[in-house]
Amino acid sequence: MSTTALSIEARQARVTRWLLLPGIIWMALFLVVPIAMIVYVSFWTQTTFNISPKPTLASWQQFFSSSTYVDSLWTTIRIWLIVLAATFAVGYPTALFVGLFVKSKTLSTVLLVICVIPFWTSFLIRVLAWRPMLGKEGAINIVLMKLHIIQQPIEVLLFTELSVIIGMTQIYCVFMVGPIAFMLARIDRNIIEAARDLGAGFGRIFWKIIFPLSLPGVVVGAIFVSVMVLGEFATSGALSGRKVNLLGNIIVTQVGSLKWAMASVVGVILTVVMGIVIAGFLRIVDLKREL
Amino acid sequence: METAVFRLEGVTKRYGDLVALDNATMEAGSNEYISFLGPSGSGKTTLLRVIAGFEAPETGRVIFEGRDITNLPAHERGIGFVFQNFALFPHLSVIANVGFGLRYGKSPQPEAEIDRRAHEMIDLVGLKGLEDRGVDQISGGQRQRVALARTLAMQPRLVLLDEPLGALDANLRGRMRTELRAIRERLGVTFLHVTGSENEALAMGDRVVVLDRGRIIQTGRATEIYDSPNSPDVAHFLNRFNLFDGTFRAGYFEGPFGRIPAPGARRADRDVYAIRYDRMRAVAPGSAVQGPALKATWIASEYLGSAIVNFFETDGGRVVEMEQHLSLGAPQTFEPRQDCLLTWNPEQAIVFGREAA
Amino acid sequence: MEQRFLKSVLGVYVAAFVIFLYGPFIVLTILSFQQGPDGGPQFPIIEWSTYWYQQLFGLTPPSRIAPLPFGDALIRSLILSMMTMVVSTVLGVMSAQAFRRKFKGSSVVFYLIVLGMMVPGVLTGLGTSLLANNVIGIERHWYTTAFATHVSYTFPFAFLVMLAILNRFDASVEEAAWSLGVDPWTTFRKITFPLIFPGVLSAMLFAFTLSLDEFPRTLFASGRDQTLPLAIYGTFSVEIHPNIFAFGVLTTLFSFALLSVYGILMGLSVRRARRQAMQEDIA
Repeated sequence: MSTTALSIEARQARVTRWLLLPGIIWMALFLVVPIAMIVYVSFWTQTTFNISPKPTLASWQQFFSSSTYVDSLWTTIRIWLIVLAATFAVGYPTALFVGLFVKSKTLSTVLLVICVIPFWTSFLIRVLAWRPMLGKEGAINIVLMKLHIIQQPIEVLLFTELSVIIGMTQIYCVFMVGPIAFMLARIDRNIIEAARDLGAGFGRIFWKIIFPLSLPGVVVGAIFVSVMVLGEFATSGALSGRKVNLLGNIIVTQVGSLKWAMASVVGVILTVVMGIVIAGFLRIVDLKREL
Repeated sequence: METAVFRLEGVTKRYGDLVALDNATMEAGSNEYISFLGPSGSGKTTLLRVIAGFEAPETGRVIFEGRDITNLPAHERGIGFVFQNFALFPHLSVIANVGFGLRYGKSPQPEAEIDRRAHEMIDLVGLKGLEDRGVDQISGGQRQRVALARTLAMQPRLVLLDEPLGALDANLRGRMRTELRAIRERLGVTFLHVTGSENEALAMGDRVVVLDRGRIIQTGRATEIYDSPNSPDVAHFLNRFNLFDGTFRAGYFEGPFGRIPAPGARRADRDVYAIRYDRMRAVAPGSAVQGPALKATWIASEYLGSAIVNFFETDGGRVVEMEQHLSLGAPQTFEPRQDCLLTWNPEQAIVFGREAA
Repeated sequence: MEQRFLKSVLGVYVAAFVIFLYGPFIVLTILSFQQGPDGGPQFPIIEWSTYWYQQLFGLTPPSRIAPLPFGDALIRSLILSMMTMVVSTVLGVMSAQAFRRKFKGSSVVFYLIVLGMMVPGVLTGLGTSLLANNVIGIERHWYTTAFATHVSYTFPFAFLVMLAILNRFDASVEEAAWSLGVDPWTTFRKITFPLIFPGVLSAMLFAFTLSLDEFPRTLFASGRDQTLPLAIYGTFSVEIHPNIFAFGVLTTLFSFALLSVYGILMGLSVRRARRQAMQEDIA
């Protein structure tokens, strides 16, 4: 009677397969295949108005022989490192306060919500809002002059690399705060109490207990920030006055002038950078286990 | 046991390297109360989960009402399950919990019938008046009753209970024990009850199944198991025996109490001498005793209401228990560190030996 | 003592952090009340007015500054976000449900899904438009190619939210339902889903907001017809006027309203489920 029937285990496995299938297909078709396409098209032959699938290394050679393109790679890496450090420096103390020092759960939730509210404004408008902040007649200069800290308005604030860094730090620092605060909130307070009873000062407790336990949060936050900063082009476009060219900006302008092959080359390079960065972070923390 | 309602045939279940069930074979008659006894990790819960269809065994068959249900999904088995944590549906009221299976189960009933049966079950378990409460608005004991009513409303012929009283306090546990038995007898269903408490197992089961490391090591009526455990392990799990290591050779057992004849020894994988707590006697040191004599000092006693348990320490540093029923007269009293001689009637001992026939 | 001092220092720091976070938005709000149509998007405020808000709704006489072309874009964006929300939440619940059982290759599938949030939008967008435009040769639309990239971006978030919720889910209530003869699908509808509903709501909210504001993927993968972020991006290249600030303030208020609705729904969902159960019994 049971010879033809599937075992319970086999039946469950079948359900699992069917549950996973749509998601796998979607991701394969609309994520993996497109990325493979970038690699593929980067070897296509590009003429002024056309592109044909004849394989060539021309676009690759063009990339590495042009200082504009190679510079954009270094600029991307530089801005990424600076913004990563800045979001960490700005975000960690906030996370420490929200996740560890605030004892009331309601207050820490309220603080987290306050951090999230700005995201309800369109990303592009948030970027744009930095212009009247940083400009020569912007809010910062006005306030500083009213306080007589400066006599002349500071001009380097807007349309420079600095404005891009300030803008990105503000936009992305919350992605650091969230995961770190989450990890900090999970720390068993008794461990800290016990360490304090044993006479450890805050500095020692921080470096020996709190920081190591918050590290997965730092890594998750760093992955978030890295993914977004490395793929950026809007902030740099809007706040640098086209002076800062990231890999993303190159892709946008190349696509704009229908240079698909060159856009793909830059895309592949961005993918490689991305892969190295994420793989590096994932070596520190196993993401799946932390969830 | 006239008709076997349920049978396990050589069921084995592994979790990785861990063998949770090792070739388990057993049978249950209709209208029978079977309790499972064993230490934690012995596979009791796994056994119930395999019977219920929550887990699939690697090998073996599960037969229920003459059908092989090994590959039948849980919801088609018609076997009730009562969880230790009750597993009530937290978003539903008491009556909706009880009527859930009737409403959404295999053969949906008309609303009037659901209502009637759910109320009947609620009456049966004594929860009248709480029908519309949320399940987080009632006490632990009441939740236990809801869990039971919910299961019994489906009129299953077999109900599995996974430490159903474990989450209750001692007082409530005692009351629920009696009620569980009474309810079962009224409905004439077969209960398989897993418990970690040997008292519960012996008190409630018509039959007791003892498990150890995934194997069924003894099955029998409560009195059989109690009076004649078939292995040192069973004797150990019953928590009713002082067990002594020693050597059994040529009809004699040599232990810390001397060398005494052991005629009725049973075959086992090691030599163990077992004597029930309530068979022990303590006499003054130097008294002339026939048979076993074990020098020990009194450490403490514990009052159990109907009996008193005295704890002694032997020269070897092990603790020996002696239980005296208060109905047999005033119990002996001892001074701290008082030296005694412990003895017993060797005919009442159970001896296990590798060389036994 | 040391701890108390540190806490107050950090408290002051967090206050400064909040100002940093909100500064641009505050400035933007102030400037949205700039005089119009001649006042520019910078200080000083010539005169307080609601001119730019009126202009958004077409209540001002025509001037040299054209109204923002956001109407159609907004509608498209809302439709796209709804579609994305539904599909990615369904996919997220399904996949997370599958992950409750151990299966071979679960790590690979996990990273395949999470990859969607780890790949920068500019790459997904570029790849999808290459695939559609150059390799297959089909037209790109916001409701086809852009929609596909939106889901591949928001699905991982919905998946992770549901995974976290289902990890904490006590499976014994489902087993209890099965043992009552209720089949797995009905069990899911009547037991599992009502209990994980707050999580589903969060997943939906996540997917909706991410999609509504999605820009890099849409830039490449949508065709002619713009979504809202693309329309806003379009204003970057021409001169900026305070009307875009007024628009920003309004959309933020709208988001607030949405957030409040979400909060109220969350609060009610548990109570409603209970009340429903009671009504079923009375009926």
